[in-house]
Amino acid sequence: MSCLALAVNRNSGFKLAAALTIAFAALLAQGQADSAARSLLNGAAVEYLFPEQVTVTAGKASEVELHFRIAQGMHINSHAPKDEFLIPTTFSIPDGLGVRLERVNYPDGKDFTLPLDPQNKLSVYTEEFVLQARIVAEAGNHLVEAKLRYQACEKSVCLPPKTIPVAIDVIGK
Amino acid sequence: MSALKRNSLVLIAVLFIFATFAWAGWANFEYRKQAAERLLASVSKGELVQDPAGGTPVYVSPLVGKAAPAFALEDLSGNKVSLGSYKGKAVLVNFWATWCAPCKIETPWLVELRDQYAAQGFEILGISSEGDGVGKDDKAAWEKDKTTIAKSAQQMHMQYPVLIDGDSISDQWGSLDELPMSFFVDRTGKVVAVQMGLTSKADIEGNIKKALGN
Repeated sequence: MSCLALAVNRNSGFKLAAALTIAFAALLAQGQADSAARSLLNGAAVEYLFPEQVTVTAGKASEVELHFRIAQGMHINSHAPKDEFLIPTTFSIPDGLGVRLERVNYPDGKDFTLPLDPQNKLSVYTEEFVLQARIVAEAGNHLVEAKLRYQACEKSVCLPPKTIPVAIDVIGK
Repeated sequence: MSALKRNSLVLIAVLFIFATFAWAGWANFEYRKQAAERLLASVSKGELVQDPAGGTPVYVSPLVGKAAPAFALEDLSGNKVSLGSYKGKAVLVNFWATWCAPCKIETPWLVELRDQYAAQGFEILGISSEGDGVGKDDKAAWEKDKTTIAKSAQQMHMQYPVLIDGDSISDQWGSLDELPMSFFVDRTGKVVAVQMGLTSKADIEGNIKKALGN
């Protein structure tokens, strides 16, 4: 009798665990949909993470890794989109700020397909991505407002192209 | 102080006061204009409403049930096309952009549906909204935009009128920060349905029928 009760309890336990897992997955999916919806509404698809400050040797080319995060459920075109009409992600530093941008190494995009067009592969960045910028700074402290231009979408909607400021304190020593 | 010198000083003071009043009036006008535009955009802007069943959020627009905002935009040949000239027809006002991948999936459906329902008095106005802030003042950028739009429209076989500079009417239609965006206007000029984003051909067809009064 007690064995039977234990078996029943164990069975109920499995069911409860399965129900909780499904509920958690549903909440997670809902959360992602909400996050994409919120990003759509406020237009903030990409956020600059770090570094806020870098110290480099003055007058010498230095590599700096710049980290960005894309809102959940969204993607932006890579630097080399596969369609001529899509807007590539580009990073730039305006002239006259004491810091010159020599080159940017962009990561390769990931293949991505929209659910309603599975044959057509897009090249995109999702979640977090890192740009390697090669800069040359003059001696001194330079508060640089670099720019990242991108165009973001989620699976059924796109936002207009946007340019966000990337603020970095560059110290040339 | 001579009378001439005094008169000159008075004249300068009067001119200064007039200039100050003129500047204040202009600044006030600009401020009110911007406030009115902001108000218009906020009043027309739709919102994503959470589906109680837990599905994808649904776009709800305050324009539904109201008269479609009037516009007159240039087509790719430079002719002005107004929404008012389509009164008596059901019109799908479709905002799209050359860089919008979901728009490229939707457009062939629109081309097919236009062919299917044209005989019943249905038309599509495809309004390009590039979102790059380019106006006619910047001739080179305007022409570049126009060329890109024409090339994209040709590739997608858009045989319906393609209009440019949708950004200039964005506020009246609810800011249009998301594309594609479709407004279904009935024969009386009233918005009967709004669709944000790529949904399905069946959804679009259902709304076309609603606009036609079928």
